[in-house]
Amino acid sequence: MRKAQKVTLTVTGLMMLAGLIAYVYQYKEGLIVTNMANSYSWGLYVSGLAFFVGNAAGGLVLSSLIYLFGVKSLKPFAKLGALAAFANVTAAMLSILPDIGQPLRLLNMALHPQFMSPLVWDVAVLNLYAMLSLIYLYILMLPELKGPLARIAIKVDDPEAFSEKWAKRLAPFSLLAAIGIHVITAWIFSTQGAREWWNTAILAPDFVAVAMASGTAVVFMASIFAYGAREEYQPAYRIMALIMAIATFVHIFFMYNDFFIHIWYGNRESLDVLAITLKRYAVTHAFEVLAPLIAVILLLNKKVRQSAFAVVACCTLLVLGVFTHRYLLMPAAFERVPLTLHPLGIQNGEWSAPIASGRYSPHGDTFVTQWDYFPSGIEFAVFLGGVAFVCFLLIVAIRILPIIKEAK
Amino acid sequence: MRRGMVIDLENCIGCRSCAVACKSHNAQPAGTWWNRVLTPGSEYHGVPPEAGVEYFLPIHCQHCENAPCEKVCPVGATYTSKDGEVLVDYERCIGCRYCMAACPYGVRQFNWQDPKKSMDQYQYSADYYPGNPKDFRLKGRLVYTLKRPRGIVEKCNFCVQYKAQGLDPACVRACPGKARFVGDLDDPQSEVSRMIRRRNGFNLLPHKGTKPTVYYLPPSRKEL
Repeated sequence: MRKAQKVTLTVTGLMMLAGLIAYVYQYKEGLIVTNMANSYSWGLYVSGLAFFVGNAAGGLVLSSLIYLFGVKSLKPFAKLGALAAFANVTAAMLSILPDIGQPLRLLNMALHPQFMSPLVWDVAVLNLYAMLSLIYLYILMLPELKGPLARIAIKVDDPEAFSEKWAKRLAPFSLLAAIGIHVITAWIFSTQGAREWWNTAILAPDFVAVAMASGTAVVFMASIFAYGAREEYQPAYRIMALIMAIATFVHIFFMYNDFFIHIWYGNRESLDVLAITLKRYAVTHAFEVLAPLIAVILLLNKKVRQSAFAVVACCTLLVLGVFTHRYLLMPAAFERVPLTLHPLGIQNGEWSAPIASGRYSPHGDTFVTQWDYFPSGIEFAVFLGGVAFVCFLLIVAIRILPIIKEAK
Repeated sequence: MRRGMVIDLENCIGCRSCAVACKSHNAQPAGTWWNRVLTPGSEYHGVPPEAGVEYFLPIHCQHCENAPCEKVCPVGATYTSKDGEVLVDYERCIGCRYCMAACPYGVRQFNWQDPKKSMDQYQYSADYYPGNPKDFRLKGRLVYTLKRPRGIVEKCNFCVQYKAQGLDPACVRACPGKARFVGDLDDPQSEVSRMIRRRNGFNLLPHKGTKPTVYYLPPSRKEL
């Protein structure tokens, strides 16, 4: 384990460094080093925001189940949940940072916040959630802050009782904040009438469902690395697998329910938009649905949950599926120009108004109706730096802090 | 006062003079076009999509009353002036491009790199730098500047810098077909209000609820 940890720390450390170098390069050259264009103005970075925010749900699932619904078997994993929540919500904020064209002006968010903007709400709630998960982690660790860590412990008469009492008191707030980050992140997209693909009331509930699945998968994976697939933890693992399965089924129901009503009615605009996901990205779409589905069906099997390798494989598959789902937030939103008209005097005509791409291309057109976006190497390096950051932070925190209960 | 524009599609000859005047007056970086003129239904400008059917459609910022770009802007860099122009403060914008996702008309454009670099790529001659050299501030906010900062969003500013001098926008003055009119939409007796009433003025994407202040008058005759 020691050696594997060292290797992981080195690899993730190098990935973070690569991400940082890529970001510095982008900062110097401008966002031209990404593959985005005027007609496709958000890409992997914004998908990354939605992805990491979803993964941060683990803290909610565990703390609310333990302290609101009394599922005691999950208790050993509460700290891990809070830590994973903090790591992912921080990664979410880090992954959106490189999307900002003028990062030095970010202070304007504090100086001149415009309160109608869902982005302002999102930044506020993400910061609140990061703070809450840190406080939660601290309260849960309090009884075990001994030795050199005693310095950071607040003095209370009975740390155990204090920790229990405050964890219970905080649970409803962390539940609200956790649901808040998914709902508000979804609202960034679903409030936009210009983009048919996002403009649906199902998006916010669906974000919550997806987050329950991927957030739990992240904690499940971390638990296996920390504790293994031992028999005494199997009841807890069963619950995690159940949550992931139910959340995935609900997510798939939400998604196809939305597709169904649009396909039934047959409005041209909706069909065009759906065709991007279901036809142009058919294989990617199949993966975003099948990967989580196969993963949770396998995990419902007790034998699978007893193998550490199988659990990690299934959780990875689910998280990859969810990442693909987040990636697909963009193509159907940006590959069809919203200004698509029926030209006067033409029967059944539909025509998209070309947009200046804003990027020089020696052979391509200045005005485009479709921009084939695939993230550039720089975008991948920056995004993977965020993924590495989550792993790195988890391993380091578990080593330094009393997160894991030693086996008796 | 609600400043609006009427574009008479009957008179538009598709020459793109407005786009060119707009581009040079407003010093748009290479590859950036605040104003474009298109041939609806056709893949190529100036080519009829069907025999006997052709008209031209100039498109730029619609200066919406319910502007989604303004509502999403986290820092209030996009705002509506008291006369209804939707403007971008070049010093405030953080470059998150949320407004570009929000705009259904595709008129917002980002400075992906330093404008000097894109001008080199497009092989503008080194001594050519178009545009009005003087910055223009509206109540202290920078809404026109020759030197665009990298990493910010820009779009049509309804030529507020010229309005301050009592002049019409560059596109209106440059139009050889006299297809563009600017006036007060709040005044029912203004020329623009009367034209909208008499000629069935319409908006683009009215179902999006953005309430544009740019109106189009349908063409009765189509150029061959």
